[in-house]
Amino acid sequence: MIRVPGLNRLPPEATRVAMRLAALLVLGVLLSALSSAFLSTVNLMNVLRQAALLFFMSSGLTLVVLTAGLDLSIGATIALGACVAGTVIKNADSAWLGAATALGIGGAVGLLNGMMVSLLRIPAFIATYGMLWVLQGLAYTYMAGNTVYGFPSGFRQLGNGYLLHVPTPVIVMAALLAIGTVFAQRTVWGQQIVMIGANPVAARLSGVPVKRRLILVYVLSGLAAGFAALVYLARLNSAEADIGSSLTLPAIAAVLIGGASLFGGVGTLAGTFIGALILTLVLNGMNLLHVDGNWQPLVTGVIIVAAVWLDLQGQRTRS
Amino acid sequence: MTRVSTMALALVLGAFAAHSAVADGEKIAVLTKNQTNPFFQAERVGAAKAAESMHASVLQYVPTQADSISEQLSQIDDVITKKADAIVIAPVDYKAIVPGIQKINAAKIPAVNVTDRSSGGDFVSFIGADDYTIAKKTAAALLKAIGGKGEVIVLEGVRGTATAQDRLRGFKEALAEFPDVRLVASQPANYQRLQAMQVMENLLQANPNVAGVLAANDTMAIGAMDALSEAGSKALITGINGSKEAIDAIKSGKMLASGDYNGFVQGCVGAMIALRYLRHEEVPKQVTQPTVVITKDNLAPYDVPLDGRQCPSWDQVPKS
Amino acid sequence: MTALPLPTRMRAPGLMVAMVVMLVGFAVASRDFAMPGNVLNIIMQSSVLLLVALPMTFVILTEGLDLSVGAVVSLCSVALAQVALATGSLVMTSAAGVLVGALAGVVNGGLIAYLRIPPFVATLGTLGAAQSLALVLTGGQSVTGLPSNVLFIYGGSILGVPVPILIIVAAYAIMHSLLYYTPFGSFVFALGGNREALTLAGVSWRRMLMAVYVLGGAWAGAAALVLASRLSAGHPTAAIGMEFDAIAAVALGGTSFERGDGWLLGTLLGVAAIGILRNGLNLMAVSSSVQVCCIGILVILAFTLEAFRAPEL
Repeated sequence: MIRVPGLNRLPPEATRVAMRLAALLVLGVLLSALSSAFLSTVNLMNVLRQAALLFFMSSGLTLVVLTAGLDLSIGATIALGACVAGTVIKNADSAWLGAATALGIGGAVGLLNGMMVSLLRIPAFIATYGMLWVLQGLAYTYMAGNTVYGFPSGFRQLGNGYLLHVPTPVIVMAALLAIGTVFAQRTVWGQQIVMIGANPVAARLSGVPVKRRLILVYVLSGLAAGFAALVYLARLNSAEADIGSSLTLPAIAAVLIGGASLFGGVGTLAGTFIGALILTLVLNGMNLLHVDGNWQPLVTGVIIVAAVWLDLQGQRTRS
Repeated sequence: MTRVSTMALALVLGAFAAHSAVADGEKIAVLTKNQTNPFFQAERVGAAKAAESMHASVLQYVPTQADSISEQLSQIDDVITKKADAIVIAPVDYKAIVPGIQKINAAKIPAVNVTDRSSGGDFVSFIGADDYTIAKKTAAALLKAIGGKGEVIVLEGVRGTATAQDRLRGFKEALAEFPDVRLVASQPANYQRLQAMQVMENLLQANPNVAGVLAANDTMAIGAMDALSEAGSKALITGINGSKEAIDAIKSGKMLASGDYNGFVQGCVGAMIALRYLRHEEVPKQVTQPTVVITKDNLAPYDVPLDGRQCPSWDQVPKS
Repeated sequence: MTALPLPTRMRAPGLMVAMVVMLVGFAVASRDFAMPGNVLNIIMQSSVLLLVALPMTFVILTEGLDLSVGAVVSLCSVALAQVALATGSLVMTSAAGVLVGALAGVVNGGLIAYLRIPPFVATLGTLGAAQSLALVLTGGQSVTGLPSNVLFIYGGSILGVPVPILIIVAAYAIMHSLLYYTPFGSFVFALGGNREALTLAGVSWRRMLMAVYVLGGAWAGAAALVLASRLSAGHPTAAIGMEFDAIAAVALGGTSFERGDGWLLGTLLGVAAIGILRNGLNLMAVSSSVQVCCIGILVILAFTLEAFRAPEL
């Protein structure tokens, strides 16, 4: 049981974010003590940039989880979006057309997911799981084992560029975090989304257009995945059919470490941001400390469980 | 856009693939490990081209879950049920595949082993290259190029796979022969580009003066390459696969070399041997691909996209 | 001791329709499909998945999830293979597999029931731990040279019936009785939506929930024995991803993630559907990328038909 005097006077969400920030700080202090390379500006900027990609995927997912849903298809959406958009950029020599393609694919996938969940009432796990396989198959067929690579340098600024010495993706992440938090906590739509997860009956009875909002969150998740695909293309300068498979579980883990509950109604974008940072820091730490590859899954698993446990302790202390 | 229509066509045809248009001609089942590694795509294309030129056809079997041993064993069952004329197989796990090969032998279907040598069962022939030797030769090329001294980093493949282990072994043995070179880090990036880039970024923080990077495949090499050039590092880097992208990188000087581990020829020869055996022609018991390290000086024959490549003629195949 | 009332209306109609369509379609498209040898293959190929999906049904009934199953099965296969090489005894080998699995179940149960960590996160952690252990124990290599008594588990027959079939029949019988004819079974259903009822009845829900995960782990050990026998090797990554197939099979079979509402026979049908789909597509020589699409389409279509039923209150 962790007691911090004065903490009880803060609003509940702020307390939890504070707890998680504390966990992040502990991790950071630990890593700086163990590795001299950790605390350099370059390393920290790298970590932030790596976390940004993870955050882009997890941001839309946070909204989905708020409604007690899940989106297992984000990895495959990124793969298909990146492959098709990448091909479009090369063939049409237009980054804007490519961007429109990626966002279009993401949005379309989100729309389909949303319709399956809200109109056909297919459980989110199943609907997005099925979608994952369909999208992955489409990506394999489309790419036929090839790689698409070599994009214009102007476009690549999205992944590689710097604005005022800060990597571009990090700036975009900050903006997305701000906009997303305002949306979730200060707009009517955002509040409705939280209510759908927290108390679906009350939401329905108070006139919230549940079906439309559900479709909205999945579309937002798809758009976020489409955007992540663009950042991926810009950063990696390439795309292949299988890039998505290793991205989905970390994205979900980031949302859960950030304090969201799969039962809905709980979670913030700030929390997800910290979750993404924690996961990225763990990998960074393992590389810097040369942790043997065999032990890396264990370390990651333990950190995930510990982070969530800590967060829950903080929650339970208050109640 | 041709890609879209190709995809649509493939989907429609795929759903009705039961009755292909080939009237006569043997049906060879080609079993490869996964959809994701371009090596196996090249192998599939090679086998298809060889079969086509010999008036036969191939049925491609790839596990839907990459590198799934169980699924490959199930596919063997299904291929036996379907009574394919011959089987060309790149086993996911060279030890666990043995019961499957025994079933193929019991069903009297001729089998050709490609890529990873199975530890049991009867085969008409084995065509392969040696992960270990390729890795060792490629590493030696890099270590020579950095002058035999300095710091080196290894980017490993997926823990638990035979290729990753053999390549790591090859790297380590090459390193042992250059005592003034220090291996400062060996981390897995699972053959993936994004992971390689992030791992390389991280490792550069602890080891900024690295002189050389040995990547267990081209995809990781290219991911690491980007991280290195961003950090302004002058480290030399090698990969394995000889993929088109790697060739381009070698041409432009960004990559030093890539070990030739291209499945195209293995696929060609595997199918050719299967068909020749069915047609009662002579076949060698083993075909070992020469280990070539592709550098700036010898990349011309590799600089051709997959669709444009031709299978070697039978006389060109090195028979041992 | 009460038997729970059996469902009065047809369950999982979407799956039924999908099964009929597949069975008819594949039989027409490929003359090898309906042959007894092929049917036997499908059952044998699905045996390991069924051994994992049955206990997964229990877990999902408690509104939980077990993502660690694939890694645990792999770990168990490695552990039991090493014991088999060391002792040559089938009893010791089986015990090793089941014990290691049960231990993983204790970890899961402890995290979920006592530390109250959400199952998704807890089992994700166990997944990492099991994966690492398997890699460390084997250095990434498979463990081969299994003695013939272990190989008998997949390859042998007793009185003409292949052993795996005997195993899955026994497994289904055991789990069915457990779920529908014992108090434990009613506790499992209660854990899924009505934990207070357990406390009121004087039963520790934590202990019951722990038992569900330990049961899952033990069956993972049994599945590992069959898998190792099939592969004639223990392998550190052989069962990766199996948990998703198992979860899909359970959901296809009509068990709900949310209400403690489920159907064990449905899980069996779900496993069969997945096995039939893969087998049929292989016999039709459908390309792998299209197969991947078809799996997704099966899942979505089977559930779409549910949508056209009367909405529940």
